[in-house]
Amino acid sequence: MKTTENFEYSDYINSIHRFGRVGLTIALLMLLAVPFVFSMLTGAEIQWNGFIKASIAVLIIYIPSCVVEYLIYVPLLGPGASYLAFITGNITNLKLPCAFNARDIAHAEVGTKENEIISTLSVATSSLVTMVVIFIGVLLLIPLTPILSNPVLKPAFDNVIPALFGALGYQYFKKSLKLTAIPLLFMTLLCVVIPSLVNSTSFMIIACGAIAIAAGFIFYRKGWIK
Amino acid sequence: MSYLEIANSFPLYLVVGIVLFFIAGLCLLFIVKSYKAGLAIGMDKKVLRKAITSSASFTVLPSVSILLGVIALSGSLGVPVSWLRLSVIGNLQYEATVAEMAAESMGKALDSSILNLDNLVTILAVMTFGIIWGCILCILTLRKYSSKLSIERNKKGSGNGGGFANIAMTAMMIGLCSAFVGSYISMAIRATAFIPFLTALIAAVFMAIFEKLAKVLHSEILDSFSLALSMLFGMAGSVLLNMGGVV
Repeated sequence: MKTTENFEYSDYINSIHRFGRVGLTIALLMLLAVPFVFSMLTGAEIQWNGFIKASIAVLIIYIPSCVVEYLIYVPLLGPGASYLAFITGNITNLKLPCAFNARDIAHAEVGTKENEIISTLSVATSSLVTMVVIFIGVLLLIPLTPILSNPVLKPAFDNVIPALFGALGYQYFKKSLKLTAIPLLFMTLLCVVIPSLVNSTSFMIIACGAIAIAAGFIFYRKGWIK
Repeated sequence: MSYLEIANSFPLYLVVGIVLFFIAGLCLLFIVKSYKAGLAIGMDKKVLRKAITSSASFTVLPSVSILLGVIALSGSLGVPVSWLRLSVIGNLQYEATVAEMAAESMGKALDSSILNLDNLVTILAVMTFGIIWGCILCILTLRKYSSKLSIERNKKGSGNGGGFANIAMTAMMIGLCSAFVGSYISMAIRATAFIPFLTALIAAVFMAIFEKLAKVLHSEILDSFSLALSMLFGMAGSVLLNMGGVV
């Protein structure tokens, strides 16, 4: 493999951390300032009682999931992609599958420099495309609204996630049908018994992921998968 | 001026535009840095470009679905707030749920006829404050956490990508897909909804076809776009199923 002289990969990683931390700090401060700027521009006032009441409820639900997502997604994405994924959002339903798809296409292996670079490229591109699509959509909101809200097309947009995980599922399920059977059966049976779990897919991902990794570990130790 | 006229006024668009412009700039910076680093470690230009094009094509359809969320929320919160909240941090499910919770905490509902501007800025503050914790963890601990992870990998001798690490990553993705596909199968078993499962099935069948075609034709373009095309066929299938009376 030919490499450019004087290039130190550790310098690249250090600069990713530097720009990531500074960039995220500025972005967060900007995002937190927006409600106050809107208040100044419109003469509105934040209702602190309502804010505190709602925030307590929101934090009880979302802080644990934020921490778990952070612990799980960082090893999967690598540092560069993680900084961007957490500031741009839609990690489970977009950034993570997107990065894995790019990684598969590039044949990059976990824990390698190539993997880190491909994941960062993928998440950064995906974030930009989402912003551009929404920006164009906002510019064309008036002509686009009747088309996108057309009842004939409604099922298509209601089923973007099933289409995404159907196609992606094919790619991953075929890698190990033995391994697939365990989390898939678990989730199917659990949702048949407790139907309300269908609406908690984002929490069930953690359980299914843990079961699949545990099963993978056993299979690996027994030599059933390589 | 009415509530929605102010919520959709130009200065608010401008503020949101500035914030998003900054975050888009950060993404662009990371693309340039990682692309250059890729070339410097000897990666093929073709591979790097393919990662960019496949990621872009992969993202378009889900982004249109997010845009629908912007349209849906803009009816009660105005376009600038919805545009900001759905372009960065969080996801549609979070934004809609938290906006509703914030409105309820003020004794209101997500309805432009009963919300006022005080409610709007409060809802926006709650939506923002509730989702920043992943970013804060990244700022404070990502450097340490990721270096600890790479030390662990090196100790286990999987720093070059071998060993259990690859299986764990594949297993995680199998778990992720199983959580969604399993929920669609359960809905079909309970006969409450068939379209999500059938849409996933159609997309999977087309994915198999495109993958085979890409291999036979040695088509790199088809390889890059196969996922996006499969999703498109799956979504088209859901329209036809709905027209056919399937629930």
